[in-house]
Amino acid sequence: MAIETKRFINSRKSCSCSMPGAWRAVAYMRGVVVIFHSPRSCTHVATTMDINAHFRSMGDGYHEKGRTVPLVSSLLSEKESIFGGTDKLQRCIDFVVQAYHPPCVVIANSCVSGVIGDDVGSVAADAEAQYQIPFITLNCYGFLDGEYYGGYFETIKNLIARFMKPLPKQAGTAVLFGDNGGPWGHYATEVTRLLRGMGVRVLSQFPSYLTLEEVRQVPSAEGMVILGGKGKTQEGFEEIAQELEEKFHIKHMPQIYPVGWSDTQKWILAMGELFQCQKAAQQVLEQEQADFAKMVEKFVSFTKNKKAILCVGRWLMYFDPVTVIETMERLQLDFLGIVMLNTFDDDVHRLEMEAVIRACTDVPIYNYQEGSSLLQEADIVLSTHELQEPGIKQIFLPMLPKVGTKGEKDFMQAIQRTLCSKTQGGGIFYVK
Amino acid sequence: MSNEQWSNVCERVEACALTGAAAFAAGIPGAEILVNGPIWCYFYGLRYLEYSEYDVGLRLHGSQPDNNAIVYGTEECLTKALERLLSYGSNPEYLFIENSCSISLIGDDTAGIAKKLDLPCPVGTMDCGGLVGGFAEGYSKACLKIIKQFVKPVAQVAPGRINLLGLSDFTYNGRADREELCRILTKAGYTINAVPGGGSRIAELQGICNARLNVVCNEELGLKTAQYLQDKYKQPYIVLGMPYGLQGTKKWLEQLQAVLPCEQLEAVLTEIAATEARLTAWSNELRSVWGSLWFDNVVLSASSTTALCLAQALRSEWLDTSWMTVICQNKIENKYCTLADEVYYSGSDGPGINRVLDQVNDVLVLGSNYETTLLDNRGDCSYVSCNISLPVCDEALMIAYPFAGIRGSAHLLQRIWNAYISTKKKNG
Repeated sequence: MAIETKRFINSRKSCSCSMPGAWRAVAYMRGVVVIFHSPRSCTHVATTMDINAHFRSMGDGYHEKGRTVPLVSSLLSEKESIFGGTDKLQRCIDFVVQAYHPPCVVIANSCVSGVIGDDVGSVAADAEAQYQIPFITLNCYGFLDGEYYGGYFETIKNLIARFMKPLPKQAGTAVLFGDNGGPWGHYATEVTRLLRGMGVRVLSQFPSYLTLEEVRQVPSAEGMVILGGKGKTQEGFEEIAQELEEKFHIKHMPQIYPVGWSDTQKWILAMGELFQCQKAAQQVLEQEQADFAKMVEKFVSFTKNKKAILCVGRWLMYFDPVTVIETMERLQLDFLGIVMLNTFDDDVHRLEMEAVIRACTDVPIYNYQEGSSLLQEADIVLSTHELQEPGIKQIFLPMLPKVGTKGEKDFMQAIQRTLCSKTQGGGIFYVK
Repeated sequence: MSNEQWSNVCERVEACALTGAAAFAAGIPGAEILVNGPIWCYFYGLRYLEYSEYDVGLRLHGSQPDNNAIVYGTEECLTKALERLLSYGSNPEYLFIENSCSISLIGDDTAGIAKKLDLPCPVGTMDCGGLVGGFAEGYSKACLKIIKQFVKPVAQVAPGRINLLGLSDFTYNGRADREELCRILTKAGYTINAVPGGGSRIAELQGICNARLNVVCNEELGLKTAQYLQDKYKQPYIVLGMPYGLQGTKKWLEQLQAVLPCEQLEAVLTEIAATEARLTAWSNELRSVWGSLWFDNVVLSASSTTALCLAQALRSEWLDTSWMTVICQNKIENKYCTLADEVYYSGSDGPGINRVLDQVNDVLVLGSNYETTLLDNRGDCSYVSCNISLPVCDEALMIAYPFAGIRGSAHLLQRIWNAYISTKKKNG
């Protein structure tokens, strides 16, 4: 019998919607109002994401603070699908301006408006001339022509073009770039902690968690720290960071992120270079290494020689197996094997993943049919996908793992606690 | 209702019609659903339904079209999805294919594509999605469509046999409510002929006309189908709403009894009386320690029938307040609630709802995590809540104990008392 994953997803593009991305880019940017040129129910997805984020942050022990900005749907209906929706959008804009007096309006387009061919850009340009405030429009239409990050990045590029100008620099300051749960989330808090140790002051987190006035102040930062990880998304962040460096001399360090313990150490030294505080960075690194060694010693007493399997079902651009394998080896787990799940729908990406794995370990690799019998032998299964097999203890490996020393500690702690569990039911465990 | 009541929609938005239609079809055992639309929309519908049926993903599939499908059509991805479904050895009694809003605009012949594959089960297709409306519109449209597809003229109308329309196992605690209604009605002497979208198989839907009466519970979900069955098959219906509270349940049964008499109503009335005595004793005991069940303000937000019927029970049977606001998801005629101080309809009264949620304080909220998240983020609102509708992230509800009917009265009163006590403890 083969291993079955809980969800079958074969699509590699058009997997998400650009509207929530645009929303998340400005969701907390006081003063801005967002219009979804869409049926009303499309806003359900954005607000559901907010609710999930709200409670996940509570579960992680912090709390998203503050209210989101107004989100208004243009209420596209069947009638507009026949006659076009631009008139309705215009009336919606009139309402928004009169009701909220916003200094800026962002309009995100749905796939419906894309299919019916509404010229949203013209409507926005007319409104901008009439109301004399910036209207940001996007070339993304729901799941067409851009995914979640298509909407996110295009909104950011518009914000930069509209609101940023060169400013005098504040030495030793940084702006965080990205979201990952906001200023209260694990990424921003860990990075801020490490930077503070080096004497670098974090000014703000761009884009969503600023006022429009604070957006204008971003060019005063000496450096920009991308809250990034892996995959195509990263390229989008780095492209924008590069633009900011060229236009406003905000320095950044590409392709190095504190994901996994090895890269966290490299990242600390890289930040020392970026902000020219190498000595302070070296001191931070030594302190982190000392703390980390104590943690590992504690966890290994629980994890040593426990039987473990790694199940991989994501493409290399979305999952780095090396950091996970390093952690498993650090915890001295008895590594039974690596199972390639059936979510690889072509050999090219599976072989690419296998080559990277093979370069860092000689643990046997199995396919999803061979791997089935192995599951029952394991004390713990680390997996990129939830597996349907009952009774096995799984740890879910997220697209973007928690970062820094604390992130690695949380990961090891999740493995330790799962192994300590005497419950019979199995199930999936998350790194909290 | 004006279609142009713009507002900040963060106050409450229901899942789209795609989810509502899928909820109806998934309420038919043995049915499988294929969402012909973006994986993002499919996934959010799936997550909504998974709250009530953790493994519904085994019956709810997606065709996962990419943007090219908008230009070239969805035949390729739809065919692949259907072939994959067959390769799994899936043997559905019925396959429901629903097109998302953008896919519905490109005019694919979905039924024709499915027919080419000679599927081993009846197939229904429907354009569905945000353009149709919200959850209720999708459910209602799918209900009507599927009933029309299968209904057969009356074979034998049995006395005391009824259908329950407008119930879904995929609303918050919906299955437990459906089971409680069936329990009470059966105890009263009625025979349940079918509950479309709430556990009845295709064969039972075929025989829906064998009932003497259609009882419409949530009218935003079931009324259109009842009207169709009356017009086409002369099958009468009654709109009763949902029975909340003990007196509410008694009145609900008496209204039904007046139209279609039953033989054992007394048995249910005896149970109501016994439960009432027990709950009164409990409340007396709790009052002696914690005082009367009083909230300065109450906000109740849910789908319309639920919100209005529950508001009536809340104020006439359980608690006291100086101001009660009811927020309804859908526009329906309010024939259920006379005791609310104000009633708003999401979609047409957005600014009023925004104002309430911006300003209310010292409040009991019966609603979903939409409302409580907003109040949390306000940072200055003192509230206590009982979840009665989705989405819910902050509560485990693992046992099937209803909100409606006799057992539901005890359950809800217990939840409200516990909420009240937690406030007292927090403030005291």
